[in-house]
Amino acid sequence: MTEKGERLLFFSGRECPHCAKLRPVVEAVSEEEEVEIEEKEVWHSEQNASLMREYGEAIAEACGGDLGVPSLYNERTGKALCGKIDPESIREWIHEEP
Amino acid sequence: MSKRLWRCHVCNDIHLGIKGPEICPTCRAKNAFVEIDHNEAMKMIGESGDPIDTKERLLQVWEDFTGQNEYELNEDREAVEMLASGVLHNQESGGLKYCPCRATTGEPDKDLLLVCPCNFPAQQRYREDRECWCSLFVKG
Repeated sequence: MTEKGERLLFFSGRECPHCAKLRPVVEAVSEEEEVEIEEKEVWHSEQNASLMREYGEAIAEACGGDLGVPSLYNERTGKALCGKIDPESIREWIHEEP
Repeated sequence: MSKRLWRCHVCNDIHLGIKGPEICPTCRAKNAFVEIDHNEAMKMIGESGDPIDTKERLLQVWEDFTGQNEYELNEDREAVEMLASGVLHNQESGGLKYCPCRATTGEPDKDLLLVCPCNFPAQQRYREDRECWCSLFVKG
């Protein structure tokens, strides 16, 4: 497992339809790029919700103001993506330099 | 300006707002609202209101809500039912019907804006994509 500070995180909600649609896309890109993207479900795990709040500023900005799911957070760069996310954006988000 | 509690002195309707309605929506009495305190309001409210704690009941509430507006429930029934399950879970675990596609911040005032239905018509997502953040409500 990747150490904290270096992780690629996928914040999701169990009952979020957009998250369910994005999950296979994230998994496919993760496999193609040979990197681990850890899914963190935020409505059934307070620990995961707290982690999301830790990165709240960048995530809220990417979501247009609120903390939203699905969202992706790169601990290395501090860059977040949110909402409708295409595979190419995920690839760029993975490889972007800080 | 902070909101206060008001009671219609004719039919005991309760209202939370900057001021009471000029016309009571229940009995139509004019200028009938008098300011009250929390204790009086809670005693008036008592156990009123059927619980909204089942999927069937919540879906009915959403259908009634959309029936009088420019938006409607998403046609994707599976997605709507998934969202209903999430809203009910969040109510049970967090006390309010929080949107399953967002996350609470821990700041009460901010989190009250996430209660479903939220004020989605004012949000960028609705203006651009004609749907609320979680796609539960879509413009017809």
